Amino acid sequence: MANIKSELKLNHTILFTMPSGEYNKNIVDVARALSGNVCYITTNKTLDSLRENFTKKKVNMKDIIFIDTISKAMMKVPDQSEGVYYVSSPGALTELSLVVKKFLKHEFDYLVFDAVTNLLTYQSVNMCSKFVADLVDKVKKSKTRSVFYAIESAENEAMISKVGTVVDKVIGGKIVKSPVTSLEKVEKLKTKKELQ
Amino acid sequence: MAKIIMIVDDEADNRATVKSILESNGYTVVLAINADDALKKWTTKKPDLILMDIMMPGTPVRDIVPKLKGTKIAYLSVVRTSEAEKEDLMKSSNIVDFIQKPFDIDKLVSKVKKLVG
Repeated sequence: MANIKSELKLNHTILFTMPSGEYNKNIVDVARALSGNVCYITTNKTLDSLRENFTKKKVNMKDIIFIDTISKAMMKVPDQSEGVYYVSSPGALTELSLVVKKFLKHEFDYLVFDAVTNLLTYQSVNMCSKFVADLVDKVKKSKTRSVFYAIESAENEAMISKVGTVVDKVIGGKIVKSPVTSLEKVEKLKTKKELQ
Repeated sequence: MAKIIMIVDDEADNRATVKSILESNGYTVVLAINADDALKKWTTKKPDLILMDIMMPGTPVRDIVPKLKGTKIAYLSVVRTSEAEKEDLMKSSNIVDFIQKPFDIDKLVSKVKKLVG
């Protein structure tokens, strides 16, 4: 795995793409590596589940504040709770955007977005990409350094490509090309040849 | 008479896959695209078991489940929860199982058989 902390010294915003098989290990490694105040946004597991996992892996969570977008949609959550802010659903992008904007004012050292590709379950690629692009813009105007996780798959390819154009650096494995894209390329080449 | 299973999932691929598996095992399948749709169809189809994704767009599942009185519901979840939360989610009287996605096909079928016969 790339040294995310060093990369974040050089780049304000990073898109970290990974195969699903490496995901669990990577999120723990990054959480361990980031020393300083961290704002951690979870869009695919509840805060309790994340804390359970991090505790097992001995990740120090003392300086991590969580934004949990899952729990409120699934179960009753306290109105106020220490170290966590609940957003109604991962699909509530406007609400999430407003919350993150407020959090960025607190000048966290790092913001971890886990994971942008999960948003696709709730909103379209265009909506999600636009949301992330807006968020990246906000992060770049703040002192906070940010890493956005993405799971590599053919379905997530469009989102990864779009987000990849707005962040300072993309780190990770290969971007899986869908057969449709390849076919489209072949068609384009054919047309080009015919025109010549 | 074949038992009726309702599959509630906003992902078309998931609905189609589970439908095909259950139909090949002799079940009648009803599909719903979210919790609201499930509630609408539940009144007329009266399923024996509902396999319901726990996180979908629309009205939250937790608000719809109490209205589906008397029908067994098994949650399907791609979202990771802690053990304590799982127990808490299972407290509702008609929740009979919590199945983590991705699931093994054989295990799903055997669970369904166990739950409705």
